[in-house]
Amino acid sequence: MDLSFWILQFLNAMQYSMLLFLLSIGLTVIFGLLHFVNLAHASLYMMGAYIGISVAALTGSFWAAFFLAPVIVTLIGAMLYFTLIDRMRTAGPMNQVLVTFGLIFIFLDLVRMGWGDIALGLDGPQSLSGTTRFLGVDYPAYRLFIIALGLGVMTTMWFILSRTQIGAMIRASVENTDMAAAMGINVSTLFFLVFCFGCALAGLAGVAAAPILSATTTMGITILIPTLIVVVIGGLGSLEGAIAGSIIIGFMETFGAVMIPSFSAVLTYVLLAVVLIWRPQGLIPARG
Amino acid sequence: MFYQTKFRSITLIAALIFLASYASFGSYFAREIVVEIIILAILAISLDLCAGFGGMVSLCHGAIMGVAAYAFAIMSAKLGWPLFPSALIGLLAAVVVSGLVGWVTARTNGIFFIMATLAFGQMAYTFFFKSRWLGGDDGMGGISRFDLSAIGLEMNNSLTFTYLGLGVLLLAYGLTAMVMRSGFGRTLSGIHVNEDRMKALGVNTAAHRAKAMAFSGFIAGLAGLIAAQHTLYISPELLIWTTSGEALIVVILGGLGTLVGPVIGAILLVLMKHEISDYTDYWHAFIGLVLIFTVLAGGRGVFGQIEYWLNSLRSRHHDPDNHQTAGKPQGGDHA
Repeated sequence: MDLSFWILQFLNAMQYSMLLFLLSIGLTVIFGLLHFVNLAHASLYMMGAYIGISVAALTGSFWAAFFLAPVIVTLIGAMLYFTLIDRMRTAGPMNQVLVTFGLIFIFLDLVRMGWGDIALGLDGPQSLSGTTRFLGVDYPAYRLFIIALGLGVMTTMWFILSRTQIGAMIRASVENTDMAAAMGINVSTLFFLVFCFGCALAGLAGVAAAPILSATTTMGITILIPTLIVVVIGGLGSLEGAIAGSIIIGFMETFGAVMIPSFSAVLTYVLLAVVLIWRPQGLIPARG
Repeated sequence: MFYQTKFRSITLIAALIFLASYASFGSYFAREIVVEIIILAILAISLDLCAGFGGMVSLCHGAIMGVAAYAFAIMSAKLGWPLFPSALIGLLAAVVVSGLVGWVTARTNGIFFIMATLAFGQMAYTFFFKSRWLGGDDGMGGISRFDLSAIGLEMNNSLTFTYLGLGVLLLAYGLTAMVMRSGFGRTLSGIHVNEDRMKALGVNTAAHRAKAMAFSGFIAGLAGLIAAQHTLYISPELLIWTTSGEALIVVILGGLGTLVGPVIGAILLVLMKHEISDYTDYWHAFIGLVLIFTVLAGGRGVFGQIEYWLNSLRSRHHDPDNHQTAGKPQGGDHA
C-alpha cells in the first residue's frame, strides 16, 4: 500500500464526511433552535434523491435537478412544519421520536408508490464525468465536486452564523430563546426559516448523493444512524460540532473499513457510547 | 404509579381469551400470528416498564431480546448444552446487558438516553451481523424447542406452543405488575416524576434505574426465548433498532404506563399489519398515520384513552369537584 492508496482513502473519507455534514448540519441546527428531534430528516434526503432523478428525467439536465430538488424538498419540509413539527415542539423527545418515526414510514411508502422498489441511478453532469488528477491520484471529478460542495456550504454556514445579523439572531435564539424574543427577534419566523434551510440542505445532500450511491428505499434509514451519531458526538445544535463529528465519523468509517474490517462497524458505536458517558453534551457543544 | 384495577384485569383476561380462541379455532397461520403477537406484547410490556414508569425511552429493547435469543442459541446449538440451562444463560445475558446499559446511561435523560440506547442496541446488532461464527447476516439455525414430553406436552404442536406462549405472556405481565406495585416500582415512578426529590429522600436513583433496566431485560429475554424457539432460527434482524421502534409504537398505540395497553397494542398492530397487507403493499404508511394520529390525539393510546374516559365518567359521578385530575395516565405527562 503506497502513498497514492492513502490519498485515495483520504479523498473517499472526505467525500463521505461532506455528505454527512450536509445532513447533520440541518439536523443539529434544527435541534439547537427548535429542540426538535427530526428522525424524518433522512427521509427528506431520500426524497431529494428521488425528486432529483425525476426532475433530471423530465428536463434532461442534472443541474436542473441539482437546483430544483432542494427547492421541492423545502416545500415538503414547510408543509411538515405547519402540519406537525410546529405543534410537536414542546411535546417532549419521546413524542417527537414517535411522530417522526411515523413520518419515516409514510415517506418510505410514498417513495415505493411513486418510484417503485427498484434502485434508481442518476447520471452525473457531463462536465464532471471523468477523473481528474488531484494530489497525484486519478479521482472521479464528481466526487471532488461533492467535497468542494461540502466545504463551500461549511464556509457559507460559518460566515452566515458568525458574521451576519441573521446569524447573530440564530446564535442568540439557540442560547436563550425567551431572551432573544424579548429583544425583538421574531423567533417563530426564525424557527421556520432555519427549518426550511435544514430541509433544503437535506434535499441537496440527497440529489448530490444520487449519482454515487443510487437511490433506494432504504437510503434514508441507512444514513440516519451515522447522521444522528455525528450530531450527538459533535454536540447538539453546534456548527463546529457537526463539522468535527462528520469528519471524525467519515474518517473512522472509511479508514476503519480498510484497516480493521472486522471491527470497524462496531467502532463508531463504541465512540458514541464513550462520548455519551464522558461528555454527554458532545465534543463541541452549542452554548445555552 | 401502577394500580391493577378491575378494568385492567378484565381487559387482560379478555385479551388472553381472544388470543387463545383465535389460535384454537384458526388455522396454522392464525397460530403464527398469535405467537408473533405474544413476542411483541412481552417485549412491549418490558419497554413499558422502562418508558412508562421510569421515563426511560429505550431504543435497545429489541437488541436485549436478541441477546437473550443468541445467548440461548449459542449455548444450546453451538456448545451443546441442555436446553433449560441454556435458556437460563439466555435470560442472564439479557439481564446483564440490560443492566449494564442502564448503569452506563443512568445519568443521561431525554433525547440523550434515547440516543445512547440506540447506540448500544446498534452496537449489539452490528456485532452479531458481522460475526461469522454466528452466521452473520444469514442468522443461525439448529435451535430446538424444549422437550416437555415428561409432563405430556408436545412442543412441536403449534397449538401447544401457542398456549405455552400465552402462559409466558401472563407470567411476564404478572411479574411486571407485581414489581410495579411494590416499593421498587413506586420508587421508579417517583424518580420519573421528580428525580431530585427522590435523591433528597436518600434514593440512589442511578442504581435504581439500572436495576429497573435489568429487570426489564429479564422480561425482554423471555420474548427472545420464545422468538428463538418459535422459528428455531434467529437472525440479527431481531436486534435492529426498528424492532425496538416497533415495540415503542405498540406501547404508545396501546397506552403508555398501563401494562395492559402494550398487550392491546400488540394485538392491534399485528392484526392491522396482516389485514392491511392482504389489500395493499403499503401498510407502513398506514401504521405511520395511525402512530401520528395516536400521538396528536393526546398520546394516551387506545386502552389508555378508554380508561381515561371511564375514569372521568366515574369521578364525575362520585365527586364532581375532582374530575379533572382523575384518570391521568401514569407517567405519560413527563415522558
